[in-house]
Amino acid sequence: MENKIDQTLDCKGLSCPMPMMKLAKAFKGLNSGDVLEMLGTDPGTKSDLPKWCTKTGNSIIREDELEGGVFRFLILKK
Amino acid sequence: MSEEKKESGVLAQLFQTFFAKHWPVWVGGLTLGILNILLFAIKSPWGASGGINNWGANFYKILGISNFEGAASINTSLYGMLCVLIVVGAFAGALFSKEFAIRIPPIGELIKGFIGGGLMAIGATIGIGCTIGSFFSGVPALSGGAIIFTIGLFVGVIVALKYLMWEMEKHPSFSTGKSWVFLAGTGKKGDWQIWAGWIVTASMFVMAYIYSDNNAIMAWFIIIGLFMGLICQRSRFCIVKAFRDPFMTGEADGSVGVMAGLIVGLIGFTAIKYFGIGAGDASMRAREMTWVFSHFWLRGIIGGFIFGVGMTIAGGCAVGTLWRVGEGQVKLWAAALGFLLISPLSKEFIVPPIVKMLPHSMAFKNYLPDYLGYAGAFALVLAIILAWYVFVKWNEKTGKFSAY
Repeated sequence: MENKIDQTLDCKGLSCPMPMMKLAKAFKGLNSGDVLEMLGTDPGTKSDLPKWCTKTGNSIIREDELEGGVFRFLILKK
Repeated sequence: MSEEKKESGVLAQLFQTFFAKHWPVWVGGLTLGILNILLFAIKSPWGASGGINNWGANFYKILGISNFEGAASINTSLYGMLCVLIVVGAFAGALFSKEFAIRIPPIGELIKGFIGGGLMAIGATIGIGCTIGSFFSGVPALSGGAIIFTIGLFVGVIVALKYLMWEMEKHPSFSTGKSWVFLAGTGKKGDWQIWAGWIVTASMFVMAYIYSDNNAIMAWFIIIGLFMGLICQRSRFCIVKAFRDPFMTGEADGSVGVMAGLIVGLIGFTAIKYFGIGAGDASMRAREMTWVFSHFWLRGIIGGFIFGVGMTIAGGCAVGTLWRVGEGQVKLWAAALGFLLISPLSKEFIVPPIVKMLPHSMAFKNYLPDYLGYAGAFALVLAIILAWYVFVKWNEKTGKFSAY
């Protein structure tokens, strides 16, 4: 089943802290129930994002490894 | 390929334990703290900016600039090699976990990397030391100057974080744009990375063995550096993160990890200094004063501040830069380049006039046990770390000081 996506955030090529800063900022503009798609290449995001979600109550609904070292997260706003 | 699902062997399971997932930061902190004690017991504690300065001095030496003729070549410099091995160890760690890739960010990020690296170089040469030498090693070394340097770092980080947030708000184009990724190890096709990891690791052991005949200390530094790089990469041990995240997302794990390393180091270093372990021909006093630099207090606080600004803009302190270089983050390649190019110049041309200007009372070696005794100094440092712990944990819950 395809998920609905309300906004896409491209963080490819960026390293810490830019992906998490951009994510936190983008989330401020979303409504409850919105889904954000995040694309990235910094391995750090893979440990930072789940911790941030636990803390903020948002949830990761899907995680994929795409070709060429890019990963993709779908995150649901609380 | 065989069809049936095989249970992986015990060795494969062991490999998975280390390389399938990132380690908690505190595991990195503890193990790095132990290796730091080992470095001190063998010779002297961990440091990073001196090694990067050595790389830069060698670059200028090759260009034939006479001021740098006296620079020790990298292969004979303990700290120059330690830095090389941290890059190599992180490279191996990234390969083993198939996380290596050459990641080229948008151009604005590369510029920030270079400038951040240059600022770190200026901060490290003025403040005598970086987040490793004057913080992760300097604080456990019971140096009063290191504590002052750390306060400078904090202020620098907060100022630069404000800048980053402003930049993201007003000039988002700076960190967006075309980016490239090469050599990523996604999926089965990426298994070459694991083999490459073994080749890199084995070569380093061979190199250490070759050194061991004439220079046993170097052989140990090579192996310890290799493990330090690998541990940093796997645990994403990052001192910028430890300082910055409480003020950014409010996250405290990075800070707690660094504190774990500080406390382990504190216990080990205090014992080494108290008993004069490994003093050899040097005096007991020389052993006590190891990693206590003449930067108390103004020199330390200015240097710490500039370094803090630089590392936040670059997204990695001296060691955080090195291990991300090994992981293939090109922004940090730019930072390392800025660091190594500016550091020798700063040491040669910026620092001497500053030193001339500062009276002795603003730049001297402050060894805490001289004032408080060993027990008092130990208790003071421990209390500061605990206070920091309480602050970040409280802030994590309440979000009082975090931006998001």
